Amino acid sequence: MRRFVIAGSLCLIGAYQVDAQPFDYSADRNSVLRVCDKQLHSGQLYAANNCYAALLQNSADALVRAEAAWQMGDLQAANAYFRTAVEINPESPRARTRWARLFLMTHQNSDAIRLFQEALDLDSEYLPAKLGLAAVATGRFEDKAKELVEVVLESDSSQLEAYLLRARMNLEDGALEAANESLDEGLRIAETRALPLLEIYALKASADLLRGITESQWTKRALNFNPQYGGIYATPAHFYVITRRYREAINLLFEAVRIQPDLWSAHAELGINLLRENRVDEAQQHLSLAYQGDPYSAQIVNTLRLIDSFENFQVLNRDLPPLESDFQVDDRPGIILRLHNDEAPILESYVTDLVIDSIQAFSKRYQFELREPVVAELYPEHDDFAVRTSGLPGIGLLGVTFGYLVAMDSPSGRGEGEFHWGTTLWHEMAHVFTLEATNHLVPRWFSEGVSVFEEWSTGPRPGRHIPMHVLDAMKEKKFLPILELDNGFIRPAYQGQIMVSYMQAGLICQYIERDWGQQGLVDLLQLYRDGADTAEAITQGLGVTSKEFDLGFDAFIESTFRTTLDVLDNWKEQTQLAHEAADKGDWASVLASSAVSIELYPVYVEEGDVYILNAKAHEELGQTSAAMNRLEEYWRLGGYKPGVLHQLADWLYQSNRLDDAIAVLNDVIFAAPLNESLHAKLGDWLLESEKGELALREYSSLLAMNPHDEAAAHYRLAMAYRQLEDQEKTREHLLYALETAPHYREAQQLLLEILR
Amino acid sequence: MDIEALLGALMRVAVIFFLVSTIGLISNAQAELYYLIVAGLGGEPRYAERFEAQAESMAQAARRSNGDDSRISLLKGDGAGRDSLTVELQRLSEVITSTDQLAVFLVGHGTHDGEQYKFNLPGPDIDGDTLFSLLQDIPASRQVVVNATSASGAVLESWLTEGRTLITATKSAGERNATRFGMYWTAALSSDEADINKNGAITVQEAFNFAASKVAGSYESDGLLATEHPALMGEASVTLNIALLEERIATTAELEVLMDRLDALEGEVNTLRQSREEMDSAAYLDELQDLLLGLALIQREIDDVRGIEREN
Repeated sequence: MRRFVIAGSLCLIGAYQVDAQPFDYSADRNSVLRVCDKQLHSGQLYAANNCYAALLQNSADALVRAEAAWQMGDLQAANAYFRTAVEINPESPRARTRWARLFLMTHQNSDAIRLFQEALDLDSEYLPAKLGLAAVATGRFEDKAKELVEVVLESDSSQLEAYLLRARMNLEDGALEAANESLDEGLRIAETRALPLLEIYALKASADLLRGITESQWTKRALNFNPQYGGIYATPAHFYVITRRYREAINLLFEAVRIQPDLWSAHAELGINLLRENRVDEAQQHLSLAYQGDPYSAQIVNTLRLIDSFENFQVLNRDLPPLESDFQVDDRPGIILRLHNDEAPILESYVTDLVIDSIQAFSKRYQFELREPVVAELYPEHDDFAVRTSGLPGIGLLGVTFGYLVAMDSPSGRGEGEFHWGTTLWHEMAHVFTLEATNHLVPRWFSEGVSVFEEWSTGPRPGRHIPMHVLDAMKEKKFLPILELDNGFIRPAYQGQIMVSYMQAGLICQYIERDWGQQGLVDLLQLYRDGADTAEAITQGLGVTSKEFDLGFDAFIESTFRTTLDVLDNWKEQTQLAHEAADKGDWASVLASSAVSIELYPVYVEEGDVYILNAKAHEELGQTSAAMNRLEEYWRLGGYKPGVLHQLADWLYQSNRLDDAIAVLNDVIFAAPLNESLHAKLGDWLLESEKGELALREYSSLLAMNPHDEAAAHYRLAMAYRQLEDQEKTREHLLYALETAPHYREAQQLLLEILR
Repeated sequence: MDIEALLGALMRVAVIFFLVSTIGLISNAQAELYYLIVAGLGGEPRYAERFEAQAESMAQAARRSNGDDSRISLLKGDGAGRDSLTVELQRLSEVITSTDQLAVFLVGHGTHDGEQYKFNLPGPDIDGDTLFSLLQDIPASRQVVVNATSASGAVLESWLTEGRTLITATKSAGERNATRFGMYWTAALSSDEADINKNGAITVQEAFNFAASKVAGSYESDGLLATEHPALMGEASVTLNIALLEERIATTAELEVLMDRLDALEGEVNTLRQSREEMDSAAYLDELQDLLLGLALIQREIDDVRGIEREN
């Protein structure tokens, strides 16, 4: 007899009730349970409860008792009975599979997977276990989910759950016709075998809603059968969330919890989505309710903790200045910043300026005026930002936009210089426009494409920046047809495909702009807003079929990148040689190899580039001027490593190129702003250039960082105010400087002078 | 950033001078500050060069502060063996009096085998207990011992004694990676930024705060977890001036009087600061201004006596 490790005890706190167990479509579900199920599904809760209670008390079958206890909300008892069922019949894959479903319902996926695997070890063809694994993979948006489902259907084409999983994935992919085909087949099977229909109705209603049919016959059918079936609204809400229609999702979820107040998953989704709309109090209310009903959900707990952490943040309301757009709008909404208390005084002005600049640029370029205030949140703790994005497939790792709300890592959320926060914010602000201009109907690929395109075209970091692995994918012809590009984001088939999809989308927008102008992008947005899908938008907006578009794009890639792709291998080889030579300290060889690399692919300043190495080699060989020139090239091409730019700035300053030195340090702010010496130095140079206001901003940021040398920070502020002829502020800051350092000679002399 | 370089066009004093009694470098006319600086075994050439460079820089700061090479012992390279170090410590125990002060800076690698700390030297190492004993024989009433080596935290409690402030680069014996602390301690001895109260002298506390802050910042900006956490124990000598930022100059009776007046005013400033929270902001600043103006004017008198030029 094979022995198996019985999966760990269900980590339960008490007999809390999570949502009712999912529908069980297995042919071998005990018929006595089906009697109770029918009552439950039709909304006869009292009768159903009594039915399950009787089974719990009287049934000799541990598995039946487990199912009954589960249905009555006693999860501890269900867990115990499942364990007993497995102990009694260790060779039964069914008991393990059903037990796994309990783990799945309580968000313990690892234990669920283990049990499903144990069931398959007992019977490698056990379809409910395969479906269980498929359900896990579907929930995680893993590409293998599709494969698992098709394997099941190949074995048994009457597996209802497989059709429903397939339909879910089709709906997530926007393949509405394919979804309906699966659902039609599922309906036929369910009706033939008298299986539950409500989930099918809910998915059908989802398909209708995604088509814009808000009064779906399937909703009516479901509610006629069971007026308390909240899933009829909660299920379509999920697809709205996937397609970023959060407000529509919220409306549906309100309905879901109205008719089924104990649908805890709906309360949780509602809370999370209310938070995406900055409706914090309501979000907290529904998440708290959800937690009471389902304390096992890490997502609920983490989101509640995130809301609690908001007390450490400042909410800053800022007006928008008059914008230079072609539109005349009287009441321009302002902007709202949610910044951590420690960082707000440092970052506020830079974030505000960038947001305003982006609104200015995009209002004009996309011919759309924002109707509500933009909310920008920057999180010093990456984990807090991660909570914001949980449950969303293929979301960017650095920032996310939910409409008017942008959330991203603060510069301090990552290692210094690890990402260019200015570019991330610019990218996310572009999403605000593409989402709102289309009422959130813009497909994922186009919204990402515009954001990436705008990074390259108008953002704070100049140039087109494509990582090496994307170039490799380009060379291997891994770009997707335009009609399939959304899959690259939602259900990536290989590691790195999400980034490849981002870059492809950006390049597509560049291609459109090249051949159809900026207006081409605007036209597409408007067509999406009016309900067109991508095939229709391409045809109507650009006058070509999707296939013709794909061919044209391929030609664009070929003409733009052929030379680069041809030298890629050589570039890698020379780069490798340069790095190896650097490890040995052979700077002459570094110079030679890196110079060849640069010649081969001059615009590359991403991970692994050789500009910095080349400059280092020049420096080591005593050729400072050449080193400076090389770093200047690096900077102008968009390179942003903070330490490198600091060095460049110093060299430029020493070469009496003050304006360029200032420009370099201004760019460092968008990569690594939380650095005392940056603000001190930049402020000093701005002061030297008679730009007192700008110097003041830098010195204020410096002081806000609680610098080590506080007296010097106050003295600097005094100097800036002096340049701005603000006597009172000059005096005030001199006094603060001398308060800390009474012997501060420069401050003493200046005080004597101004009080003379 | 050199503020003086940037603000050259503005009014400043051409030469900053430091008077012995003002800055309290030596509490009485006979007290002397002795420096012992040791660069231990580097092992690899890059470490050997680094440690020696740090030691040299520290010695330079010491020379600037003392005015000459006397009372500065620098041991490095082959001259930093155990026997040489022992001999030098024994010599110091004979020449240093109880009214004198001692600053010991150790840079290099340290090890701890679970039982005993060792400072790595060319040839046989010297263990923590032996070093402690040798240091104990030196009668200086105020001492600062800076152990900038890896695993230096092992001696954080055992080396502490009356009158001594002990600084280690690591908080425990378990922090065994090569440290960055030595580099930042070296910088602190010559840095305007470390001179928080701008009196031209770097105290032990100021140097430690600067170096510790820079160590933490360097790991943060590299995106790394810090493998060292500098520690300071023993408050006895934290106010000891460990380095001057400019050459020291002798005082006169006239200057002594002015210094006393300066000290008194500084005391009044400190007293006023303590009541800051209870006072109206504007009133506080007005009172502060009066005191600071007084300070500034006395400072100007001192400059005049010294014949220091002012640039307007």
